[in-house]
Amino acid sequence: MRGDRAFVIVVAVLMAAFVAVFCTLPRSRYSELEKRELRTFPAYNAAALRDGSFTAEVSNWFSDSEPFRDAFMTASMQLKSWMAFKPLRASKESVTFHAPEPEQAGEEPLVEAEPAAVEPAAAPVMRNQRDIQEYHHDVDANAKMENAGVIVVGSAPTARALMAFKNKNKGEKAFAKVVNAYRQVFAPDVTVYCMIIPTAVEYYCPESARSCTQPEFPVLKELYSLIDTAVQVVDLYMVMGEHLDEDIYMRTDHHWSPLGAYYAARQFAEVAGVKVPDLSEFDRQVVEGYVGSMYGFSKDINVKKSPEDFVYYTPKTASYSTTYIKYQLDKDYRITGEERPHQGDFFVKMSTTGSAYCTFMGSDARITQVVTEVDNHRRLLILKDSFGNAIPGYLFNAFEEVHVIDFRYFTHNIKQYVKDHGITDILMANNLSHVCSGGIGAAYQRFLNQ
Amino acid sequence: MVFADLFFLFVFLPAFALCYLLAAWIDRRKAKAGAVSFGWRNSLLVLFSLIFYAWGEPVYVLLLLASVIVNYFVGLGIDRPGQRHRKAALVLGLVFNLGVLATFKYLSFLCSQLAAAGLPVPVPRIALPIGISFYTFQSISYLIDVYRHTTPVQRNFRNLLLYISMFPQLIAGPIVRYGTVAGEIGNRKVDAHDLSEGMMRFLRGLGKKVILANQLSEVSSQLLTGAGLESLTTAGAWVGILAFTFQIYYDFSGYSDMAIGIGRCLGFHFNENFDHPYCCNSITDFWRRWHISLGTFFRDYLYIPMGGNRRHQAFNILVVWMLTGFWHGASWNFLIWGLFYGLIVMLEKYTLLRVAHRIPRWILHVYSLLLVVIGWGIFYFEDFGQMTHFFRAFFGGAAFSDFAAVDALRSYGWLWVAAVLFCLPLRDWIVRGTARWTASRPAWAFAARSILAFLLLAVSVALLVGATNNAFLYTRF
Repeated sequence: MRGDRAFVIVVAVLMAAFVAVFCTLPRSRYSELEKRELRTFPAYNAAALRDGSFTAEVSNWFSDSEPFRDAFMTASMQLKSWMAFKPLRASKESVTFHAPEPEQAGEEPLVEAEPAAVEPAAAPVMRNQRDIQEYHHDVDANAKMENAGVIVVGSAPTARALMAFKNKNKGEKAFAKVVNAYRQVFAPDVTVYCMIIPTAVEYYCPESARSCTQPEFPVLKELYSLIDTAVQVVDLYMVMGEHLDEDIYMRTDHHWSPLGAYYAARQFAEVAGVKVPDLSEFDRQVVEGYVGSMYGFSKDINVKKSPEDFVYYTPKTASYSTTYIKYQLDKDYRITGEERPHQGDFFVKMSTTGSAYCTFMGSDARITQVVTEVDNHRRLLILKDSFGNAIPGYLFNAFEEVHVIDFRYFTHNIKQYVKDHGITDILMANNLSHVCSGGIGAAYQRFLNQ
Repeated sequence: MVFADLFFLFVFLPAFALCYLLAAWIDRRKAKAGAVSFGWRNSLLVLFSLIFYAWGEPVYVLLLLASVIVNYFVGLGIDRPGQRHRKAALVLGLVFNLGVLATFKYLSFLCSQLAAAGLPVPVPRIALPIGISFYTFQSISYLIDVYRHTTPVQRNFRNLLLYISMFPQLIAGPIVRYGTVAGEIGNRKVDAHDLSEGMMRFLRGLGKKVILANQLSEVSSQLLTGAGLESLTTAGAWVGILAFTFQIYYDFSGYSDMAIGIGRCLGFHFNENFDHPYCCNSITDFWRRWHISLGTFFRDYLYIPMGGNRRHQAFNILVVWMLTGFWHGASWNFLIWGLFYGLIVMLEKYTLLRVAHRIPRWILHVYSLLLVVIGWGIFYFEDFGQMTHFFRAFFGGAAFSDFAAVDALRSYGWLWVAAVLFCLPLRDWIVRGTARWTASRPAWAFAARSILAFLLLAVSVALLVGATNNAFLYTRF
């Protein structure tokens, strides 16, 4: 064919251009989209070469730390989104959310979910924390399944990504057992509270996609029935349900929002008999253009194109000091050492927008101790997963000290810690997915004996 | 190492291409007047092939080398005069090759079955050397062809090593007969047309794998594994297995295209491995179009020597198909898959093929594709519990549809359209239909080809970044 020689040159130049990009430009070290450190070149050793792991790691390093990785991934997601049949979805691009009261299902007017005005609701009414009723709500929007069990509802610029709830490990019984064990170990001097945080999928999943996730309500009901009556349950299922028309969960992240955490903290304060100030007593801080972890999980361009404001609240009046004991980690997030205690800020200014959720304490891998000016002989220990990070900032007017420990990063004995620091209240604040995973219960059990 | 990998594309392949050009220059300088030499190029090809294999199998590269050494000497033995010697050498070679295959591929399976039956048999844990089924079959074809005097024996060890280990077809075929490339090992010619055809073929294969097969694998695995399988509906079963039907075709034929393309750039002309199999009119026709190199291997080296259609034809067919299935893996589902096709091919021989000319073609298509899709259902599930669960849903024993099934169709809508279209001989139609136009406007034809090449490469690279499902399905066989 005529032009063969020219075609060969074109392809050779194209290949050379890609080789130049991939082999000569600086490699990416961190992916903002995936919120993770990228692989580094593996250390050589003869055994790794023999068993093939060295060469496999070299290939993985090369394929994981490409120059402009995030740009390539964005292009990749855009290409994938073009594979969808758009015309079929055009009629339901916006998300309409119907959020009736549980007793009055179907009678509430329609409320637009996005954007929501953030007006703090009235103070909660105390109720029996275990007597919960299922919300029958409906979200009227298109949805699609994406990678890693993520359901994407609606489309840019207001897409919402939901992590499907799959109770595969059925760890709720083991978790309840551990909560009861804490109550037994620490009674009567320490009050144990259990806050199980429902995830966004329970409230915001469209009916059409319900088959892709399991309901959280029955699991919560079961958990409440398994937890000893002497444990103070802090129910959030109803609390969150009352605020669904506000931004209580992030749309692009698997976490809740600081506003959701505020309502949770207020509910906890009611149960614990302390006071949390009105939201107007806090300064409103805004990180604009936030895109959370769900883009990395879902790899859906609609999520990337639906940035939101990350709004958090810092106390106006409370005076406090924060001390951290940081854990040193290896590349697989295993603890390799513990640093000496040092002072720091509780609210950390993050260098990138995408890591805004790390504003609270900067990371999970640390023990945090906040000393306030409150004088009520109440000292709180929060045992939490990352959802719990957003709670402590609201409690600096309520406790003398607030201690925070993550279930993944604690190497001491919890009984000794409670004794040494004169803890009077333990709040176990974890999201339901973690609670059911089994791992978190095992970790808290280990804390008692390590 | 696999072809659809950024390290292969942008480190291994360019490094090889540069070294190969250098070797070609040295060969030209060292060749005597009027003669051609491929010594440096062939040595370099062997070296890179061994690196390619050792990258994934650092220890099993020794097995590959040992296999070639044995086959080299067996080949020389077969070539010695004297019928008894020749036959003995052939038998020795076959026992060795099949023994290696049986040990590394089937021994663990056999022992586990015996242990499951209650016999006190230890189950060895032997990792399957990648590509062993392909290079063992190539070795067997070499020995038999030498025995039959179809091809001359290879006396140069490096050249035999080159034939067996050549990286374009080493780990997932096509199964290249020695006779196909014997002449080209010592003397081959590459011009701009070969290079341009080879490059385009390679890029087409890359596109098939990365753009089509990898995306379809997301659909099939979402519906047919884990929680998706547990809640499988009838529509989900159909959508999932249709996705796998397209996935395996684009995955395997994409690999074959890339192998054929690289081979062409080096001056080798491998035989085609696929001929639009989903356009078949019968299952017999399907197997003439699917994995042609395996089908012809079994036909020439087993079916015909067993008597072919001259005696015990039904028995011969069943044995050949059972072994064809078993070649794909040490698992009962592959055996059943082979027998499933064996039975259909046998039945067709006595029924359908005799009256096919009187049946509308679309009915034959639907009939064939339905059976092919059912076949992939058997092929997909190595676990019988999962297979039963799948077929119950497939035949209506589950809820009709759910969100996952509808979403898989909608979210990948254009992918499905492309998957169906590219199963057809679309390229042939376009080339034929535009022949006059391209001849009169060569600049436009060149521009169109260049843009297509750019798009295939750029889109594939973008989709490869962050992808985790790049392994080719057939490399595990």
